[in-house]
Order: sequence, then structure tokens, then C-alpha cells
Amino acid sequence: MALLTPYSKIPELNTATILLIENEERFQTKLADAIVQQEKDVNVNVRLARKLPLPLENGDSRPRVDLVVFVVSLRSERSLQAVESSLNYLASDYYLGKVCFVVTDARCGTLAQERMLRVRRLAASHHCPVLCAEHQTEEGIAMAAMRLLTILKVSAGLSPMATTALYLSSLTRCAAAPELDDD
Amino acid sequence: MAGASNLSGLALETSGELQSPGSASSNRSLRVAENVRKKGERNPFQFALNYLSQVQEGTVVRGNDALERNLVLVETIALSQGLPPEAVSLLLDLALSLRAGSVTCSRILKFLIPASVVPQEAIVRGMSWLCVGKMPLNAQVLFLRWVLTVFDLIDCKDHLRAVYGFIFSFLTEENLCPFICHLLYLLTMREHVQPFRVRKLLEIQTRMGKQSFLMQLLALYKVFRPELVTLSVPSRLRTGFKNHNSTWKAALSAVQRKNRTQMMADHSLSLGVKGKPVSRKRKLDHLEVPPLSSSFYTNSKKTVFQLQELRSFTELLQNIHNIELPAQMGSLLGCSLALHYLDCVQDESAFLRLNFWLGYSLQEEFLLCPVDGDSDSQTEASRFLATILSSQQFLQESFLSTESFLYKFLSVWDGSLLRSQVLDLLSHVPLMPSHHIRMLLFEPLMQLYFTSSVFFKCSVLECLNSMLLKWLTWHSINALENGLDISLNSNGTVTMTLSGFMDTVIELVRFVGRLAAEGLRLENCHVLLLSHTLAFYETVCDMFVKYGLPLVIMPPADVFYPALLATDSVSVDRLGYIMYRYRKNLTLAKKQGQQREQTFHISRVTYQEFNKHLVAMVSCLWNSKSFLSGTGIEVDERQLIQSKVPDHWSSFDLVHHPAFFKYALEFHQKCWPERKRVDLASIKVGKYWNWYVEFLFSQGFDGLNDFIKVNTGQSYSSSSSSQGDSQPTGQH
Repeated sequence: MALLTPYSKIPELNTATILLIENEERFQTKLADAIVQQEKDVNVNVRLARKLPLPLENGDSRPRVDLVVFVVSLRSERSLQAVESSLNYLASDYYLGKVCFVVTDARCGTLAQERMLRVRRLAASHHCPVLCAEHQTEEGIAMAAMRLLTILKVSAGLSPMATTALYLSSLTRCAAAPELDDD
Repeated sequence: MAGASNLSGLALETSGELQSPGSASSNRSLRVAENVRKKGERNPFQFALNYLSQVQEGTVVRGNDALERNLVLVETIALSQGLPPEAVSLLLDLALSLRAGSVTCSRILKFLIPASVVPQEAIVRGMSWLCVGKMPLNAQVLFLRWVLTVFDLIDCKDHLRAVYGFIFSFLTEENLCPFICHLLYLLTMREHVQPFRVRKLLEIQTRMGKQSFLMQLLALYKVFRPELVTLSVPSRLRTGFKNHNSTWKAALSAVQRKNRTQMMADHSLSLGVKGKPVSRKRKLDHLEVPPLSSSFYTNSKKTVFQLQELRSFTELLQNIHNIELPAQMGSLLGCSLALHYLDCVQDESAFLRLNFWLGYSLQEEFLLCPVDGDSDSQTEASRFLATILSSQQFLQESFLSTESFLYKFLSVWDGSLLRSQVLDLLSHVPLMPSHHIRMLLFEPLMQLYFTSSVFFKCSVLECLNSMLLKWLTWHSINALENGLDISLNSNGTVTMTLSGFMDTVIELVRFVGRLAAEGLRLENCHVLLLSHTLAFYETVCDMFVKYGLPLVIMPPADVFYPALLATDSVSVDRLGYIMYRYRKNLTLAKKQGQQREQTFHISRVTYQEFNKHLVAMVSCLWNSKSFLSGTGIEVDERQLIQSKVPDHWSSFDLVHHPAFFKYALEFHQKCWPERKRVDLASIKVGKYWNWYVEFLFSQGFDGLNDFIKVNTGQSYSSSSSSQGDSQPTGQH
């Protein structure tokens, strides 16, 4: 089993690498474009994948991945299942602030709400943040890209202030799913 | 023509059975027939309708090309432009009579998209077909769902209300029950609530269990006749009715949007014509606040005023005892007279209905279907939220349904969609117990806050500041009236104890303190963020003097020191003001505490914290003793030496502080214009110091002025008498 590890390679100067994983491959290219266009100060590599584990062939040429993003569409069950199975292929070091979930279609009815709860539970048990994104509008994509960049810069050690990925994730990580239905 | 008269005959039969005025409807259908005949020759659509109206009982459907062709034609027109009222009633009758079989029935129902209104007679006739009982179950359900979908488009509802009893009788059908409940909910008036109906409902409820649709209907009954319904109804019911409009929603909203743009074009052409062109109904996706219209009864016995007839406030006052609410509660939102009425009458059923309408619309529009990218729906959505907001501001109270919607929305919010409206609405959230606030508000906000830009952080702080302000104002008004308990709504039915309120405020202030402290660190003490943070503490520092809340909470060190050592003078000045107000609050608290021991107790720790901050600030700005031991902010001596900054103890006094450096230079130049070499230390000597301070305060640093005056006892014009630690130290 090929685990992806965060510290086995040496980082490049002024460079951050983000890995977007989405089973459906619908949102990730748009998101990748937005991320690359928004960031002017540092070099951002965006890598795309459908699922983990990543193929072994070009494992050596692959740069160090600073942030792993799982994109989940709440419209499809497959999307969530793919993420669930991919989580096992990340080394545990990643869960110290270098993984986050991006959820799309969160406002699509009761089925989406139920899946959202499952994503939250999953994220809470892995100490990751969950970001919701509006993938259908320009502003929504830009906002999602910006928020991912904020996390990426910290997790790649590019933040001007001494903030670590672990510290940021302690502020943003998903708590256990809220129970809105009571009362 | 023969077919048309057949149609009107049918109408007579059925409506006779329902005791509703049959002649009117048959007149209507005669007119329809006339129209159909007139236009039929020219217009293929009319021709098709004509054909469909002549379909006889027992017509073969399978392989009937003529029928198929005409149906397809009508279907395309219906889905693209919508159907005129006459066509709707004609097709509905054709469908429900099953003259063309049950398959065609559901097919017709599925494309029955009205262009403007639905005549109520069509619905009444449909109900009578339901009573005949020939329709298969799925057709019955489809019909009821359709009625619920177009309910707001029905032109008038009095005849429909007249057959309330018939509709009620369908409750016993288990499969129809949810839909019938919803329909009854929309139709019910006080006189419909009768003991035998309540009994029946309760009986059904014991059979079917606590279904939410039954509970909703019972809750409404209870509002109208509390003496009849003894059942306890939970105060906040979950979403009551499911949506039934999925089949038609997309087509209906498309048609209505299209028609509206057409109408706007028409309207702009005929600007000179007064009055509304046609009564336009709200489109189904609710985002438009419906116009005040269509009330219940045209009953001659009662002299009832309808809200839309009111023109002035005096009229409202004269008729306030017999005003009837509009059919659609949402229409109240746009109208200030209606809001006056609502505020004054405090009618619980009105609020219940309004909340139901609002909760339904908000849920439907923002949580159950994503916004498709067009800017049209975006502006519509923001306008809708703005209307809610202005109504809430008018009533000075938040609606229950917006509140619970906001909590749900926050957990799926991306932080940019309708940002300003959402945050505005959020700042109107009423008080809540402290254990709820963390879960509902803080968790989702925190995650958004720390992953977003500095501007978003600022707007979150601003929102929380105005939330706190509103709570404090609410407290200061309500505490005067009833002592220790605070009512949470305007009629005082929900209350909270003072200590509960204080817990919530403490929770909020601590939360913002944390956000601000960590945010300032992450954003490298961004000036804008610092300014919003200080604005928040300007509210916090005055909670006792201004709002009578016996509570003093100091800012955390992570907020205090960035402000004290900031590079812009405004922040330092504001910090001076804040510390000055803290002092006022604490001295007043101490004085009151000495007078009446029992009142309240401010923790010793708070005083210690304040003193520590005060010492740090005075020794930094005034005494030129920054970073030395015993001044609150200490840095190791060796490190200070290592830094090789000359006279490091004085580098943050009023002269050398980066925020005031510019002023010191200007002052220096004014005093010694001939000097080539700038020597700022000479400002601190003798009378120059007083002059400098005076010069500084003349630049508008009032907060700092107050701070220095109060804390050093120094009126800088006469520097003779002052406390020991307040002497400016010129040299070391």
C-alpha cells in the first residue's frame, strides 16, 4: 500500500503544492484554475487526482504535497464513498492539519443534509475542516479558491507569522455534527 | 360548440352538488366556449383546445393520433408560455373526469402550468371529481400536489373555503392525509375550527402517530381556538410540510419569469397609463414578496377592512378592530402599515402564519435548491433578504423562522453567497442561552472566519459587535421593566434570567476576544482588523455605565498590546479611549459596590487585569519605561541589550512611538526651525514636554487626552501637582 507522506521530500523554495481529489472530476479543474490565477506571490502547484492511492510510476518526480483536499459532491453517494476509501492512503502526519474537505451541493435537499452529516462526522473523526463551496457561481469558486489558499500557505509554511498547520487546524477543524433538530 | 355546451353542463352538475353558485361558473364556461369558438379558426392552439374540450367519455387513447397531436401542441405551449385561465379549467376538467383515461389524466396534470391565475371554480370542480371517487390514487395525489403548488395563483378562495368540510372529509384517506392537511392549513379560518373536527383530527392522530403535518394543523387550530385543543404542541415545530411542487416548479418559475419580463416591457411602453396593468401574482419560488391582495371573505354582514384597502395611518387606527389579514402573510413584509398593525395587535396566529410562510420560503429557496448561476436570481434573493431585514428592523424583533434558518444556513455557507445580507440578518439574532450559542453560531463562524480573508474577518467582527449592541440595548430597555428577568420577545412570553443573559454575553465577548486575538496574529496585525476589534471593545468597555449591565470584561493581552504598539496613531488613541471608559466603569462599579454590598461583585481578577494594562500603558507612553520589569510587558534585559536599540526604554513613549513619530518631528521643526540635527530627546525637557503634549492633543487625539488626564492627574498646562509615577522622565 503506497502511503502518501508529507515529510519524505524536501520542499522547494517559495512553492506550495496542493492536491485536489475528486471522483467526478467536475469541480476540480475550475477550482484549480481559480487557485492558480489568484496566487501571485508564490508558486502554487495544483495536482489533480480522482482517488488515492496515487500511481507509483511518477512517484519520484512528484513534488511534496502540502495540502490534500477532498472534494465531495453531496449529490452523489459515490463521491462520498470514494473519499472514504481514499482516506486510508494518507500517512497519519497529514491529519495534523494538512487535509481538508470541500463540500459542494450542500444546499440540495434532505439527502444532501444527511450526507453532510456523514461528511462532518468523518471530518471530525479525522480532525479536518470542512469547507462548503458554491461551485456554480464565479464568486463561489473564487471564494473557495481563496480559502484553500489561506490554508495551503499555512500548511506549506509560507505564512508570514509563525503559524503551524496544526495550530490553524485546531481553530478550524470540524467539531462533532451539530444537532439542529432539538428544541 | 356541442362539446363546449357539454362542458358547461358538466360544470352545472358538479357545482350543484357542491352548493356553490353554479350559474356563475356556467356563465363563465359559456364565455370560454364563445372565446374558443371565436379564436379557434385562426389559432392552432385554440383549435387544439377546442378539440380537447370535445373529447367524449370512452375515447380510445391508444393510437389516437388526433388526440396525441393536439395534446402535444397544448403541452408545448403550456411549458413554454403557460396556459390562460380558461384553458387551465378546461384541461383540468378533461383530466379529472378521466374521459381520456387515467394515463392522459396524469400527463395533463403534469403540464398544467398556469400563465397568470387559476380560476377557483376549476379547483372546486376538481374537488368534486375527487368526491366522485373514480380517480386512481396516484392521480388523486398528483391533483392535490398540483393544487398546493398553484395555491397562491388561485384567483379567489371563498368558494374553496365553502367546501372546507368536503376537503376535511378526505383526511381519513391515509395516503391523501399529508396533502389534505397542508391544503386545510392554508384554508383554515377561525370558524372552521369546530369541536367535531378537532375530535376527528385527534382520532386520526392517535391512529397515525405524531405526524408533523397533523401537528401543524393542530397547532393552527390551537391558535384559533385554544380552548378546543388541549394537546400540548411543541413551541418550535420542525419544518411542517414537505414540498410537493417538484413536478412543476422549474417550468412554472420559468414561465412566470418570462411573463414578467414581457409585462415589464409592456409596462415601460405604456408608462402614461395609471394603475397596475394586470394583477400579477407572485411567482412560485417565493423570492418575491407577494403584493397585498386577495382576502378571504366577501361577506356582506361584516364590515371588514382589508389591509390592502388602507391608505393612511389614521385609517388603520380607526379600523384596527376589524381588519382582516391578507391571504398571503408574506405580503405583510413589504408594507409598513401592515407591519404597524402586526406590531400593535400581536396576533399570535398572524405571527404563526408569517413564520410558516417565511420559514417555508427561506428553506425552499436557500436550502433545498442551489442558486443557478444567473445574476438575476442573485439580486432577487438579496432583495428578498433585504425586505426581511427591513421588516425586522421595523418591528425591532427577529422572526423565529429567520433565526432557525440562519443557523441551518451558516453550517452550509461558503462565506461569500449574499454575504452582507446574511451577516446583517445574523446581527439581528435574538438572545439565546449560552450553551446554544456555541453550537449554533460559534462553531460554523469560527471555521469560516479562520479560513477567509481579512475583509471577511472584519465583517464578522462588525456583525458580532452589532449583535452585542442590540442585545445590550434590549437588556437596558427590558431590565427597567421587570427587574431580574429579561423577556426575549416583545410580548414577554419567553424570559431569561439576568445571570443567563450575562453568561451569554460573557460567552460572546470571550469568543470575539479569541477571534480577534488569533485573527490579529494570523493577519499580522492588519490595521483594518485592529480597528474593528477596537470598535468591539468600545462597546464592551461601556457595558455597565451605558447599558446598566454589571459586567466588566477586559480585552486579552493579544488584543491590548498590538493596539498599544500599533504603528497608526488612531489605534493608540482608541485604546486610550477604551482604557479611559474601563476606568469609569470600574470606579462606578466600586462605588456602587461599597454603597450596597448586595448588588453585584466584579472579580478581583478583573481589577488586576485592568491595573496591569494601565501600568503597561502609562509606563510605555508617559514614563518611557517600556519593557522594563514591573511594567506589564517585560522583555529580558540581555535580549534588549542584544537588540542594540539605543534607549530602548523610551522607544514607545509619546515622542518615539512609531504612531506619533511624525508629530514629534513636526513639533521639533516648529520649535527649533534653525536646527539641522534632529534631537527628539530635547522635547522631553521642561516646558517643551507640556507644549508637545498640548500640541499632540490639539491634533484630535481625544481618547488619549482623556486617558492621560484621568490616569496621570496631569493637566498638562499646569504641570506642578502630579502623582509620583506620572512625572515625565526626561533622562535616565
